[in-house]
Amino acid sequence: MKRRFTIGAGLAAAVLAASTSLAGAAEKELLVGVSDALTGPAAVYGVPQARAVELAAEEVNAAGGIRLGEDTYKITVLSYDDKANPTEASNSVRKLLDRDGARFLLGFCCSGATGAVASFIQNEDAVMLVGNAAERSITTRGIDNLVRTRPPADYTGAAAGTFVASKGHKRVAVIGALETSFYAMYVDAFEREFVKGGGEIVTREAFGLKDRDMTPQLTKIRALEPDALLVVGYVEPAAFVYRQSVELGLEVPRYGFTSGSEEQFLRVVSAEQMEGVWDLRPTELTLQSTGETGRAYHENFTARFGVQPSPSSPYAYDQLYALRDAILKAGTAEDAAAVARALRELPVPKEAVMQYIPIDGRMFDENGQAYTTNGAFQWQDGQWVFVQELPSVAEDYSRFLSSVDG
Amino acid sequence: MTLTRKNGLLYLAILVGLIVLPSFISVKYYLHLSVLALIWVIVAQGQNLIQGFTGYVSIAQAGFMGIGAYGTALLGLNFGLPVWLTILIAPLITALFALVAGYPSLRVKGHYFAIVTLAFNMVIFIVLLNLTDVTNGEAGLMGIPKPGAGRDGAIDFADRTTYYYLVLIAATGVTALAALIVNSRLGRVLVAIRQNETLVGAAGLAAWKYKLFAFVVSAMFAGFAGALYAHYQSFINPEIFTIAQSMDAVLAVILGGSGTITGPIIGAFAIVFLPEYLRFADSFRLVIYGLILILATIFMPRGIVGLASDALGLLKKRLAR
Repeated sequence: MKRRFTIGAGLAAAVLAASTSLAGAAEKELLVGVSDALTGPAAVYGVPQARAVELAAEEVNAAGGIRLGEDTYKITVLSYDDKANPTEASNSVRKLLDRDGARFLLGFCCSGATGAVASFIQNEDAVMLVGNAAERSITTRGIDNLVRTRPPADYTGAAAGTFVASKGHKRVAVIGALETSFYAMYVDAFEREFVKGGGEIVTREAFGLKDRDMTPQLTKIRALEPDALLVVGYVEPAAFVYRQSVELGLEVPRYGFTSGSEEQFLRVVSAEQMEGVWDLRPTELTLQSTGETGRAYHENFTARFGVQPSPSSPYAYDQLYALRDAILKAGTAEDAAAVARALRELPVPKEAVMQYIPIDGRMFDENGQAYTTNGAFQWQDGQWVFVQELPSVAEDYSRFLSSVDG
Repeated sequence: MTLTRKNGLLYLAILVGLIVLPSFISVKYYLHLSVLALIWVIVAQGQNLIQGFTGYVSIAQAGFMGIGAYGTALLGLNFGLPVWLTILIAPLITALFALVAGYPSLRVKGHYFAIVTLAFNMVIFIVLLNLTDVTNGEAGLMGIPKPGAGRDGAIDFADRTTYYYLVLIAATGVTALAALIVNSRLGRVLVAIRQNETLVGAAGLAAWKYKLFAFVVSAMFAGFAGALYAHYQSFINPEIFTIAQSMDAVLAVILGGSGTITGPIIGAFAIVFLPEYLRFADSFRLVIYGLILILATIFMPRGIVGLASDALGLLKKRLAR
């Protein structure tokens, strides 16, 4: 009898404890705001980024959300189109902060719009995670509540310059969106290292984001008889350069910095015309360069949205997992400053797709900057193939970044 | 255009409305939009002088905003001049550029003038983009300081409500100045130029001087607005000062009511708030916005002010019966 009572009392206590626990547990909403270029020429980067955040949020929610004590946070993503325009981006973020109540801001594919938000975000009770925007100054200002997953353009440009010099080229012609500062920054760093290797840049030809006919510049380049061509710019104009260089009979090795997917290039240029092109960029997503996590991301993204992810889209995917880990580490989703501090102490999340190089064991350095390896990708038989890593030392660059004033 | 008692009461009512507006705004996002709208009031009042009163459509106001914005930012960042001083210098720098651009531009009339000013805006944009050593190119200038002594000072201009009142004072001053100009002999000559420029010449008046005056003053207003914008946003890059933004100034005047003082105020708020309210339509919002503008231009040639005035007249007639 006594035993039955004990069992009964035990069961009752367990049921009571469970029900108390259930009564105390609460499901809360964690609003994540995305500001990105969802329309316009920069949407080739912005749309895949916004989708990547959405995918990551769905995965975290499916895995039970973010559990903090008795509370479980389910993520809601609210995306606004900033058209890569600074005023639009400021408006989008103001709306997310002031009207919608978002404290965590993700996305930001493009440097101009990101710079505008970065200029006021330090006065806000919020955390900003920047994705694909590669302009160096975004992280040189040491803004406490801002981190970036993509390395700056000059970090990669320097590695690319060394690589092209090692290929034995002496005279390289550059054609690119040189009015865009991070492309110009990439080329400057490229030139510095390329000249060290004994080479010279014979010309720098520019095109605009909306330009589609680059034959005048390519005709001039052909007359200069360079050893190689370097193409830096957004996917679509770069694809036109690759196509028109073949059409003009410019038969030199072609190197580039674009971060475009196969699908994005093939809308403009044929696989045959792309054959042999190199893309020298951070080691971003391609099926050859990535591990199991990256392949799963590629598969899930394609299944969810019906298109392949662009190589740079995981910068945004990784943002959400970094944010989740930071919230867990901070033990709060309400205190944005605590989450911002936790981000700086964070190791690389296990779900991260990009191959980050931790600085002192942390994903982000003291400037809030993350680094990946740089890679040489070559177009072979209709797809990007990862060929080799490019020489780059993240620790050295991190020290350099800390020395840059504003 | 004389300032009647009725008009005076209307302006006073608008001013009182704008003074108490922050008390009714619970979401600071709308305060942010209101600050932008008031900055656009300054631009639109300038645009109205040259477009609404003189009859010359200038498509260079965003370029002049850019000159003012970069002027104040660069003077502050490179020479350490106080923000208040650089804000006051900015319109003067803009005036110099407008004088140089306006003198040859105003020799042509009608659509040709619009095309010349459009080209001028493009030149400003290209210079801002390519003079990277000075302007930092497409990356723009970050960390442009707020006026005053910052958060520790007596007045914190980083606070949006405080900045709202600063731009309200500026917009009121500029509107009063515009009203003063159009109600003077000068303003009457500008209207005469709009109606019959040849006749003005025949009356022995050097029309070009008046046109140049209107063009330079409108540019100064834009430069002043650009300076206020730069210190409000703390960031500028060339993207903000393109022809699209100049078209917004033109539209603000058309939509609000060309050749009136109230029109640009209403038009400025419309061009800032309307695209934001249409965001619910997602990617169609700009199509809807464009459609509204086309319909407004066709069916409301006198703008919102004209429409309201007609409606009021109709109402009075009905009541009098």
